Amino acid sequence: MNNTMIRFILGQILRVEAALLLLPCVTSLIYREAQGQMYLFVAALCLVSGLLMTTRKPKNTVFYLKEGCVATALSWIFLSLFGCLPFVLTGEIPSFTDALFETVSGFTTTGTSILPDIEALSHTSLMWRSFTHWIGGMGVLVFLLAIVSLSGGSDMNLMRAESPGPSVEKLVPKIRSSAAILYGIYFAMTILEMILLACGGMPIFESIMLAFGTAGTGGFAIKNDSLASATAYQQWVITIFMILFGVNFNAYYLILFRKFKKAIRMEEVRYYLMIITVSILIVFLHIRNIYGSIGISLRHAAFQVASIITTTGFVTTDFDAWHENAKAVLLLLMFIGACAGSTGGGIKVSRIVLLFKSLFKELYNYIHPKNVRAIWFDKRPMEKSVVRSTLVYFMTFMLLFFVSVFAITFEGYDFMTSFSSVAATINNIGPGMSLAGPTENFAYFSVFSKYVFMFDMLVGRLELFPMLILLYPGTWKELFPKGRSNPR
Amino acid sequence: MFLKQDDKSGLRIIIVGCGKVGNTITEQLCKEGHDITIIDKNASTVQAISNLYDIMGIVGNGASYSVQDDAGIHNADLLIAVTGSDELNLLCCTIAKQVSGCATIARVRTPDYSKEVNYLREKLGLAMIINPEMEAAKEAARILYMPNALEVNAFAHGQAEMIKFKIPEGNMLVGKMLHNIARTTGHDFLICAIERDKEVFIPSGGFRLEAGDIVSFVAPRAEGRRFFKEIGIPSNQVRNCMIIGGGKAAYYLAARLIRAGIDVKIIENDKSHCEELSIMLPKAIIIHGDGTDADLLKEEGLESVEAFVPLTGIDEENIMLTLHARKVSKAKVITKINRINFTDAISSLDLGSVIYPRFITTEAIIAYVRARKASIGSNVETLYHMFDSKVEAIEFRVGSESEVTNIPLKDLPLHNHLLISFINRNGKIIIPGGLDCIMPGDTVMIVTTHSGFKDIRDILRTKRH
Repeated sequence: MNNTMIRFILGQILRVEAALLLLPCVTSLIYREAQGQMYLFVAALCLVSGLLMTTRKPKNTVFYLKEGCVATALSWIFLSLFGCLPFVLTGEIPSFTDALFETVSGFTTTGTSILPDIEALSHTSLMWRSFTHWIGGMGVLVFLLAIVSLSGGSDMNLMRAESPGPSVEKLVPKIRSSAAILYGIYFAMTILEMILLACGGMPIFESIMLAFGTAGTGGFAIKNDSLASATAYQQWVITIFMILFGVNFNAYYLILFRKFKKAIRMEEVRYYLMIITVSILIVFLHIRNIYGSIGISLRHAAFQVASIITTTGFVTTDFDAWHENAKAVLLLLMFIGACAGSTGGGIKVSRIVLLFKSLFKELYNYIHPKNVRAIWFDKRPMEKSVVRSTLVYFMTFMLLFFVSVFAITFEGYDFMTSFSSVAATINNIGPGMSLAGPTENFAYFSVFSKYVFMFDMLVGRLELFPMLILLYPGTWKELFPKGRSNPR
Repeated sequence: MFLKQDDKSGLRIIIVGCGKVGNTITEQLCKEGHDITIIDKNASTVQAISNLYDIMGIVGNGASYSVQDDAGIHNADLLIAVTGSDELNLLCCTIAKQVSGCATIARVRTPDYSKEVNYLREKLGLAMIINPEMEAAKEAARILYMPNALEVNAFAHGQAEMIKFKIPEGNMLVGKMLHNIARTTGHDFLICAIERDKEVFIPSGGFRLEAGDIVSFVAPRAEGRRFFKEIGIPSNQVRNCMIIGGGKAAYYLAARLIRAGIDVKIIENDKSHCEELSIMLPKAIIIHGDGTDADLLKEEGLESVEAFVPLTGIDEENIMLTLHARKVSKAKVITKINRINFTDAISSLDLGSVIYPRFITTEAIIAYVRARKASIGSNVETLYHMFDSKVEAIEFRVGSESEVTNIPLKDLPLHNHLLISFINRNGKIIIPGGLDCIMPGDTVMIVTTHSGFKDIRDILRTKRH
């Protein structure tokens, strides 16, 4: 294992975080808030530790998938550990566990909060909280790769470990340009949403925060009622942008480069839009009489469906009070999640589609046991290894999910609470149902449960395997080989 | 802003075929910072290479329009076709040319086409046709003309040669300083690079030579042999040569040697292949038998032969044959290594002259690519990597006036570890002294441990981008 290179990457990540922390510092200057000093202090801390870790550039810069996974998992843990310090130091979230929970929830774009009163936070902390969504959405390593080239070809192993989806592809030959294009699209869409929200009469600060929250498909709002008090126009804008950020970014790339035909042909995006339409329809039929007017019902249905399938987690109304069948639809959407290659979480539409196609292939095999037949996706035969890893992914996901649910049931809450709270964190959504529902928050869970949730959030965001590789004993043997008393 | 890729980032190059040559080209061009897309039919090969280098991989048939379109042929600057099949390569290039008008390079190896290379290139509008087997044969032939050399590379259309040799024990050069040698041997040569204990030096006049040093020098053609004579190592062309294996490289080499009046004996295992060779090379002796059989080699006179060149398709066999020949005979041996990558182990084996066809090809392509990137007014003509790529020898064409022209060399602020080794002025090779100037229209060869020079102005310390 190339430990020096892992150390180097972690150092680079801390330097990036130092730079990112400057944004809340600037906010504190604008709003004249004292909290900025703490942010500046943590930024300096990150910078110094980052510089210390990157003073010696490793000679051997080649690393493989295992190092990529370990570096990615550790990066996210480091980011969260350093990122939660300002909350603790400013005293706005005095408990370390709670601060870490809030930060992990931010970076993993979950949007689950332990804060009973969000409006009490300073602008500085609100900015940092929402900004973590924006960074976490596209991924901090992708951001790093957009600025520096670490080691040529091996960089792909980092991108693969961090980017969501069953098979990660580059857009252009150079990884740095690929990462830059992704961030370019991301940035442009965020700005566009900001402008549209501000045009609808929303204060600038709030539009920025909500744009960050939508872009990363995070879900931190800055009001206690999330978006319930927003105007119809604002809710519609956010609905549309949530759906847009849940689309595979390759589609935008293809549109940018005028390959419209290919963009339209993307199978995953078609299924994604189809699922959204059908879900809105079902939910709408159930709630059409609750809100007095059909327009309002449709808006709430669309907003909640978009919010849940893209794993954003904004709330306009207490959907926990809806018809059980509508809630079931939302619960299913939690697992389906957004498209691969988007900023959303969940299992991903493409994996679900592949799972169904595998199922149909199995059924077909019962009728023609000796047939040879590939699984097609995007008009291309899928490689067997991709299909296999999708199946393994699903199995592992379910395993982790039920182990987590089991761990949470120690709290003694009703089953819906335990089940939906784990679903909401492992899929990076935010609100669950029942006691973990949209009008509640996670503050009353025990410390143990909070750590389980944090683990679930990280596992969900990094697509299971990087985190699992980090915990796998075989990795530790490689990280600290025997016979070396002083592992560097 | 991010839509338009800036031109500084490199050329957009598509490489079709990821065999050993494709792989080496990818590696080198990637190092030089170009945007590379590879196409191969085999998904696992593509996967393996895209994991190693920062490139994009596409699985499919490179001659199909839709695959080329996927690879971005419309924006590409250059397509290089190096699949195993000549015809496929030519087809790839023809289609690419029709679709986007980008420059194309094809590998064409079969002797059937080798005489028509110029015709093919012109009619199909190719930028370059490469033939690694032919190039390997040329290099082997140059060494056999001068068997005391380890390597002989041609520059300035063959007008000048870069010759590498090892200083034997007790030679008159041992212990001499470089500026003293010129007095005894005349001025028509220049020592450019010296390897000692795995370290490479670009020497200055005060450098003292030792036995066992591996020395590279440039000299006008035919002067090299005179130099050898003057330092007491007579070096006459070999009179006969034994070649093991009758592949394409063997054919090209044999044809060349026969033209130079050298007797050639080829040992080939395949009967029908032997018959083909006997028709193509009527003057050569073709033996049907197993070239790896020590008794057969003995019978055919390995002990007394002057040169021995194993050219089988299997590297390990070639190396074993070389080691065997060095034990039992005094013949000059040249080893061709196609595939295997253990350069460290190979250099410690003391094989003598080693030829790597894939590197020869790669160098030609890189020279072309660098020339494409350079500004108008100067051009990379040829490029050689020497001493395991630690040293680059580059020949530039100087088109117009610039910061380097018309100034005596001693007044130019040159980089360290850089040497101007000759100036070719209208076909005359000038080994320059401090008072010589570079003039527009010259071609200039430099030797340097830096890499990535594209423009003659890169040799100046002040002007580097």
